[in-house]
Amino acid sequence: MDRVTSRPGRLFVHVVLVLFAVYSLVPFFWTTLQSFKTFKDAFSRAPIFIFQPTWKNYQEVWIRSLPDAGSSVGYVILIAVLIITCLMLFARYIPVNPAWIYIGGLIGYGVLLWAIPQSVYMAKYYNYFINTIIVTVFTIITSISIGCLAGYALARYAGMAAVVILIAALAFRALPRLAFVLPYFWIGSLTNLLDTHILVIIALVAVNQPFTIWMLRSFFMEVPKDLEESAMVDGANRLTSFLNVIVPVAWPGIISTALFTLLLAYNEFLLVRVLTQTNWTLPVAISRYTGAEDPAQLTLAAAASVSATIPIIVVILFFQKHLVKGLAAGAVKG
Amino acid sequence: MKRNAFFAFASPSILIMFALMVLPLLMAVFLSFQYMTFRNITSPEFVGLRNFIEIFEDQRFWRSFEFTALYIAIVVPSWVVIGFVVALFLDQVSGLVRGVYLSIFLLPFIIVPIIGTIMFKQLWEPSGLLTWLYQQITGARFRVNETSVKILIIVFGIWYVTPFTIVVYFAGFQTLPVEMFEAASIDGATRMQKIRHIVIPYVSSLTIFILLFSIMDSYRVFDSVFVLSELNPQFKADTVMTYTFLTAMQVQRLGKANAMAIITVIGIMVVLVPFLYLMYKEQIEER
Repeated sequence: MDRVTSRPGRLFVHVVLVLFAVYSLVPFFWTTLQSFKTFKDAFSRAPIFIFQPTWKNYQEVWIRSLPDAGSSVGYVILIAVLIITCLMLFARYIPVNPAWIYIGGLIGYGVLLWAIPQSVYMAKYYNYFINTIIVTVFTIITSISIGCLAGYALARYAGMAAVVILIAALAFRALPRLAFVLPYFWIGSLTNLLDTHILVIIALVAVNQPFTIWMLRSFFMEVPKDLEESAMVDGANRLTSFLNVIVPVAWPGIISTALFTLLLAYNEFLLVRVLTQTNWTLPVAISRYTGAEDPAQLTLAAAASVSATIPIIVVILFFQKHLVKGLAAGAVKG
Repeated sequence: MKRNAFFAFASPSILIMFALMVLPLLMAVFLSFQYMTFRNITSPEFVGLRNFIEIFEDQRFWRSFEFTALYIAIVVPSWVVIGFVVALFLDQVSGLVRGVYLSIFLLPFIIVPIIGTIMFKQLWEPSGLLTWLYQQITGARFRVNETSVKILIIVFGIWYVTPFTIVVYFAGFQTLPVEMFEAASIDGATRMQKIRHIVIPYVSSLTIFILLFSIMDSYRVFDSVFVLSELNPQFKADTVMTYTFLTAMQVQRLGKANAMAIITVIGIMVVLVPFLYLMYKEQIEER
């Protein structure tokens, strides 16, 4: 629509947008403040905005006991994380194939995750963090690999079966999680699979599969048909032409879908809450801090919440374009 | 693509959806006719329709149903109206400024819903920022009771999903035909008239899409209600989903909980089936 041009009009637009930004940010702002406060500051009746910040809440959430050389270990870890992240951020300016840098970076993160508890006695929260990473990574890999095959098939096959599967998937996507989760709980207790990663991962893959295939299908439909046809004329069979020709072209769409799968797996509460008793992921673990009667948990809950949000914000910074693209694609196609 | 190739490619996905969505749903139907607690989980006892009768006589279930209906009635129109208005304002800026605003607005929708709820809850703790502000403005202390917890659940519901409708409307506005606005300007239409007669009709299909998905999503609301109702020790502010969860995991009546889940499925299907039929026709035409 045409722009407001008058000066008071422009001012009004910006005032409204700034107010809405404040409304969106207030909980983040306040929780971050609380997480850096001492117990006494956090419980003052009138809110305190200027105070001596403390890392104590974060320390208590993550670390059980500090080693003697605590500070230097901390700095080594911090520097290692920074180096790997910077390398990955600026991979395209380094004269090596960026794929190797990404793979190396991911391995580096893995080694760090393994090395940290060897040198520092970490708190339970660290275990939940590792659980979350394991569940999220394996859910993405499984979900995207089987989803890509199905999404591609659904984009190319014109038969009745494809329509039926698409509509059925849509119906399942709309149903409440609890209708599936309670039977999973039953199966889990009959087979002794409760509280294992494998059950959570399979369940997550299944409940997200309808969304995944719809989204991937829409991206595969944008790939022109001539591409694999010419590859197949050259003698490639359907699978190799799919892997070598179609997947590279549809790669940005696959990344978008993977990003949404990541968010869905990382955010899942109900399913993990029902299917696990001790091997929680972060959302379930954090909800435990708030249920307790002990008011001292308040600042810890704040620190735990901020800690769990940072990885998501980092991922979003890396993949912002894909996120907006995915949201808009899903929305416009409806 | 040939039929065989289609099934070869799609079978892993179809198998996992059949094994973990179709079968569990049938299992849920089976379990809803059983008396089952954590004790006799290996040997459920068939009780026919007794679970369903019990639910229909359960006052707490009806209260949770009423609250769910109230939640939908307030939250869904708010998403549509606020999302539409904010998207209109967002459409007025461009470039980097727009990107910054968009990222800020999206934040409540991106973060873990449980964590969003906990952050929101921090504002309303006895030492929270909004508790203090509330006292400054009204002069009364903020009290945690059934009504205030319900209001908080609804306000949070509005806060964390509005970003989705903003993005949907915003993406829709980018496809508005420019010529229509130019013609309207020549005819001397005011901004409100343009919104009323061009924008709203143009995005009406988007609005239907949003309404449908938000009714179904808000019917299923769980995470935020679960955390916020812990503010209230009597635990009366439950929706159908949280009450089903409590029946399963705390009261340990798995059969009854499954029956509730089945009732919810039927309720959602009533809204869903006409939409599915539309989608079906659209897919058939697209072939």
